Amino acid sequence: MTSVLRGAGEAAERPQAIHHLEHVMGTVVTIDVYTDAGTPGAEVYRNLARARAILQRADTVFSTWKVNSPISRLRRGEITCEQAPPEVAEVLEQCETAREMSCGWFDPWAMPGGVDPTGYVKGWAAQRALSALASTEIRGAIVNAAGDIASIGGPEFAKPFRIGIVDPSSPGHLACVVELPGAIATSGTYERGHHLIDPHSGQPTARVASASVSGADLGLADALATAVAVAGEEALALVEGFYGYEALNIAFDGTWRWTANFPFASTSS
Amino acid sequence: MRRTPIVILGTVAGLVGVLSFHTAPAHLTLGVLPPASAPRSSPTTSVVAGSPPGPGSHGANSPPTSTSPTTSKSTPATTPATTPATTPATTPATTIPTASRSANGAEVNYNYGILSVSVTVTGAKITKVGIASLDDGGNFRSQSIDQQSIPVLEQQALQAQSANIQGVSGASYTSAGFSQSLQAALTQLGFS
Repeated sequence: MTSVLRGAGEAAERPQAIHHLEHVMGTVVTIDVYTDAGTPGAEVYRNLARARAILQRADTVFSTWKVNSPISRLRRGEITCEQAPPEVAEVLEQCETAREMSCGWFDPWAMPGGVDPTGYVKGWAAQRALSALASTEIRGAIVNAAGDIASIGGPEFAKPFRIGIVDPSSPGHLACVVELPGAIATSGTYERGHHLIDPHSGQPTARVASASVSGADLGLADALATAVAVAGEEALALVEGFYGYEALNIAFDGTWRWTANFPFASTSS
Repeated sequence: MRRTPIVILGTVAGLVGVLSFHTAPAHLTLGVLPPASAPRSSPTTSVVAGSPPGPGSHGANSPPTSTSPTTSKSTPATTPATTPATTPATTPATTIPTASRSANGAEVNYNYGILSVSVTVTGAKITKVGIASLDDGGNFRSQSIDQQSIPVLEQQALQAQSANIQGVSGASYTSAGFSQSLQAALTQLGFS
C-alpha cells in the first residue's frame, strides 16, 4: 500500500502522476492519478483515500475467501439478500442484467458452490473507486484491477489514455494499443494443445485466446469480455449491438476479429 | 438465494427483445484478420491479408493492413517464433458437456516456490483459471503477496517495454510452471 508521486523530477514531457498500489480482492489494484505539475492539492489525496476505502469495502462484503463475509454467509444460506448490506442486492441485480445482456455467457450462478459474483465485483468496485477520484484538480485517473481498467480523462489535457493489450500467443509482448474511451476488460480462455511444447519445460502447454471489450462501464465490459472469450464470434456480434461497447477477439489460431469501432490507437500519439 | 428479485425480470425481457435485433450477422461490420500463416482459411466474409494491427497501425475506422505487432516500438522485433500460427487449431471434443467443472492441478515448482493451478471448464472451454495454492516456504504473508503480485509484475514488465502507454490489459498467468499445473488440472477433467 504505497503511494508514489512521480514525474516532477523526471523527463519534462512526462505527465505527473500519483501511483498507488492497493492489495485488495485477492489481487493488486493500481490507482494512477494524473495531475498538473506542482504539488497535488489535499483534495486529490482525500479522494484517493475514498477510492481505497471503496475497494476495501467491496472486499469486505464480497470476498468468498472470508468465511464471515456477507457474500459467504449468503452463499451458505445464513442470511437473505435483504439482510445483507445493500451493495449485495445492487451487484446481484447488475449481474443478472449482465447475464442476460451476454446471453448467459457470463453467469455468476453457474459457479461451483452457489452464486459467485467475484468476476463482476472486481470491475464494479474499480468503477466505483474511479468515481471517487473525479475532481477538477486532476487531468485523469486510472484504476487498474489486474488488467481490467476503468478511467476518466487522460494523462494530459485532450489526450486519451493509451492501454496495451497483451498478446495471448506471446505473453511477454503487446498485441496492440488502444486509446481508452473509458473502460476496458480482457478475459482469456485456455485451449490445450499437445502439439505445443513449452521449450523450457519440454511439456505440452496450453495456449490462451483473449477477448477485450471497451466501453463506458467496467463491470459490463468485464462481463461481455468473458462472453466473447468463451463464445467467440457469436458474442462479438452481441457486443456490436451495444452502443459504445467494442470488442477485439484474438482466437486460438491467431485470427483477430473486432467490432467496427474498436479503439485501436492511431499511428500518431 | 440463487436469483435476484423478480422485479428486474421486466428489464430482462426488454433486453432480450432488444438483443434479438442485433444477433443477425447482417448487422455486423466486423474486422477480420487471418493468422499470419494459418493453414485454415477464415470462414468470415471480409478478410484482410497480413498481420494483426500493431500500435503503429491505422485508426479505428480503417482496417489495419500490413503493420505487424512485431515491428512496433513497443514490441521487440525478435519475438520468438511461436507455434500457434503454423499449427492447426485443436478441435474440441465432439461431445461437449455444458456444465461447469473444476479441478486443481498438480503442484509444480516455479521461480519462487511451489504453485498449484485451479481450472474451471464449461463445455470444451476453460472459463476460469486461478492459483489454488502457492507455497513460498511457509510465510503466509509473503505467500499472499506473491500470489497477488504475479499479474501486476507481468503488467509492469510489459508497461516498461512501451514508453507511451499508461496501462496493460490482458489475461495473465503465463509462466511455465503455471502451464504445467494447468495441464495436470485439465487431465483430471478428461481433456486430452
